[in-house]
Amino acid sequence: MNRVVAAVGFVLVALGLAVFGWKVVVYDLPVLPTDPEGLWRVELNVTVRGAGGRGSVRAPVPSTAPGQEVYDERSSADRLLFTLRTEDGGRTAVWRGAFDGVHDIAYGFRVRLAPVETPLPTEVGAPPASAQRYAGSTREFPMDAAEIAATLQVLALPPPSDVAGRLRSIYAMVAHEVATTAGGSDDALLALASHAGSERGKTALLVTLLRAAGVPARPVTGLELRGGAAPREIPWAEAWAGGAWVPLSPTGAFFATRPASLVALRAGSFASVEATGAEAVTYHYEALREHLRPEELAAMMVPANRVLRALSLYRLPVDTQAALRLLLALPLGALVVAIFRNLIGVPTFGTFMPVLIAFALRNVPIYVGLAMVVGVIIVGVFGRLVLERLRLLLVPRLAILLCLVVLGVALFALVGRRFDTRELFSGVLFPIVILTMLIERFSIAIAEEGMRNALVRAGYSLLVTVAVYPILRDPTAEYVMFSFPELTFCVMGMLVWIGGYTGYRLLDLVRFRSFADPSDDAERPV
Amino acid sequence: MKVLRALRRHGVLGINRRNAEYTLRWNPRGAYPAVDDKLLTKDLCARAGIPTPQLLAVARQHFELRRLREALARLNSFVLKPARGAMGNGILVICDRDGARFRLAGGQRVTLDDLAYHAAGVISGLYALAGQADAAIVEERLLVHPDFAAIASEGVPDVRVIVYRGVPVMAMTRLPTLRAGGRANLHQGAVAAGIDLESGRTTHAILQSRPIRKHPDTGEALLGRAIPGFADVLGFALRAADETGLGYVGADLVVDARHGPVMLEMNARPGLMIQLANRAGLLPRLRAVDREIGPDRSVAERIALAVAIEERARVPA
Repeated sequence: MNRVVAAVGFVLVALGLAVFGWKVVVYDLPVLPTDPEGLWRVELNVTVRGAGGRGSVRAPVPSTAPGQEVYDERSSADRLLFTLRTEDGGRTAVWRGAFDGVHDIAYGFRVRLAPVETPLPTEVGAPPASAQRYAGSTREFPMDAAEIAATLQVLALPPPSDVAGRLRSIYAMVAHEVATTAGGSDDALLALASHAGSERGKTALLVTLLRAAGVPARPVTGLELRGGAAPREIPWAEAWAGGAWVPLSPTGAFFATRPASLVALRAGSFASVEATGAEAVTYHYEALREHLRPEELAAMMVPANRVLRALSLYRLPVDTQAALRLLLALPLGALVVAIFRNLIGVPTFGTFMPVLIAFALRNVPIYVGLAMVVGVIIVGVFGRLVLERLRLLLVPRLAILLCLVVLGVALFALVGRRFDTRELFSGVLFPIVILTMLIERFSIAIAEEGMRNALVRAGYSLLVTVAVYPILRDPTAEYVMFSFPELTFCVMGMLVWIGGYTGYRLLDLVRFRSFADPSDDAERPV
Repeated sequence: MKVLRALRRHGVLGINRRNAEYTLRWNPRGAYPAVDDKLLTKDLCARAGIPTPQLLAVARQHFELRRLREALARLNSFVLKPARGAMGNGILVICDRDGARFRLAGGQRVTLDDLAYHAAGVISGLYALAGQADAAIVEERLLVHPDFAAIASEGVPDVRVIVYRGVPVMAMTRLPTLRAGGRANLHQGAVAAGIDLESGRTTHAILQSRPIRKHPDTGEALLGRAIPGFADVLGFALRAADETGLGYVGADLVVDARHGPVMLEMNARPGLMIQLANRAGLLPRLRAVDREIGPDRSVAERIALAVAIEERARVPA
């Protein structure tokens, strides 16, 4: 490979990687298809019954915060007045009005959850006023109680400079030495006294002990979202350390890292759905995993840069996007073909025929696809053998083969109906033409190169097809090439490198292997 | 790895390098038609005073088939082939006829209708390099030179000479076998024998990439055979190559029993099997030509240079 070729290839690859890196590092675009794992639709349904008196229903609702992005909120009020209030830094949904009979009210939101990882502090700083609010003694968190002081005494905490150590000691004590019981006490001191408490009681104890140890701490009310089950209300504690709120599980489930299954509804107090002036109230949460809608994906994938925004393919109409997604995966297929042809040296029917076949068959499982190719070839070859006798001119003969293949596919569809292969046929219209071309080339190869060579070539063609096929089918590859079309430059750069490679192909080595056989040298007459 | 080292030691030319450094570099695209189309090659050879097989009939369009049939009806032995065929595809050799039936080289019998059908396929581009419209041409059938009779079955052997920048760098002869159906196609089992450029004698032979010493059908020794009229073969190859303007070209000649060497066709992307047939790599010779070629060397000087290069390029066993 000469230097110019190497340099051109390098420039192309570097260009592609640079733009790719820019988008990923600076604009934080996800390299892999975004995991819909953390995406939920959550709904709170409240049923309240009243006898004509005025009253209100209050429910804590989440805000966008570290680890959770809340959007697309909806509510239904059922004859009541709905308002969202912001108080104490948290939001509360309030329905008020005269409760007359049964009211079904609902509040829904979508949320994207991510784990919250809080680095543990290495030095102590004075907490700001916003945290100082959570440092004092209250009825709920009686940090001045003698039992609390005694417990801290027993724990023998590390010095105040080691905040992380203090958090760990207190967390370990509450999580492991106080049993979690469903019917246990909600009170911090009772939970401590009986060495058993509810999650709420243990959270209160955690907060109380932390405050007594000089660490601002607060309770958090949240939901644990579970696939296939209703969300569960769950409290946990947060300690102010090193400039951030460090989440601590009262049951030992997590320490400093909040899992992506938790959504915080209210920080600073225990809160749940409450009603005043009602005869009865009941509520439940529902949660469903969600997938991104195209326009949401677009909103997420368009970087906040004018140039990149202008060049983002996500701004195109959705159906154009779908077509382009396929198209942009083709260079990868071409790269594979170049590798097979120029580095390995396998002969195929037509240069990009394997890519076209793989492309045509991408909607069906590989074994069905290959069976179709083989079946169509057999139909075609037999058809051609029969047509041979009629001495028809080339183009009409090819057209008749096409007709035969169409009928063959139709027959296959009839047979396949029994096996529920409806979607098999969503993508087979296009390949028919390609397969017909393949038949013609194959039957010429049989005539000219002999059955053995023709089969070898067909085998190699299918081999390359099989190699290309998973790439064209892989949603990850499709996503990556579509989200980062600049990677096509990388493919071009690699193609430049392959194109400039003048060394031996793998099959050259096989073909000329007898040069390595020393006994042959002796046979040569001098 | 062992193979790779051996190939490097012998200077074997691989496909990628042949394409990048020789055919792409030395063969201007515009010069291709003159070698891809056998009718144009014929004209070119006529200009250079190089003999070619006699042209008996041509059909370029389907309506000309009728005239072709009339011409064929009068002939007993001939070759029907596409003007732009690749790798010997689409060639029918008719040796003989009894009444309405023509006998093919492989022994098959065909009718005039069969031949016309084949010609129609040829014109449609069935055998052409890129599937484009083609012409069916009918040439006289060449006869095996008596010197070859013992080592060629059924068909006519040819001699391939690789000419690089006007210097013949390597030569081989392709000997038909029964297995190859009387065709000189190496992939189908014809024998290839490398030729010493100085003596014009065969030095090494292969069958399907494996060394062989006796002809598989006749059992006659393959090595040490002299190619009749080899000096003319080299001279014709070289002059025809000059005429094409191609820097890296394979010339295929046949030594006919009556006319002596005649030019059959030329190839702008000659294959690499010739290296196996000679058990020698092309690279040392090509590089020697690059070093030593001067301007305006006469034909004789260039052949002398080729011989000298071949002598020096020998790899000690």
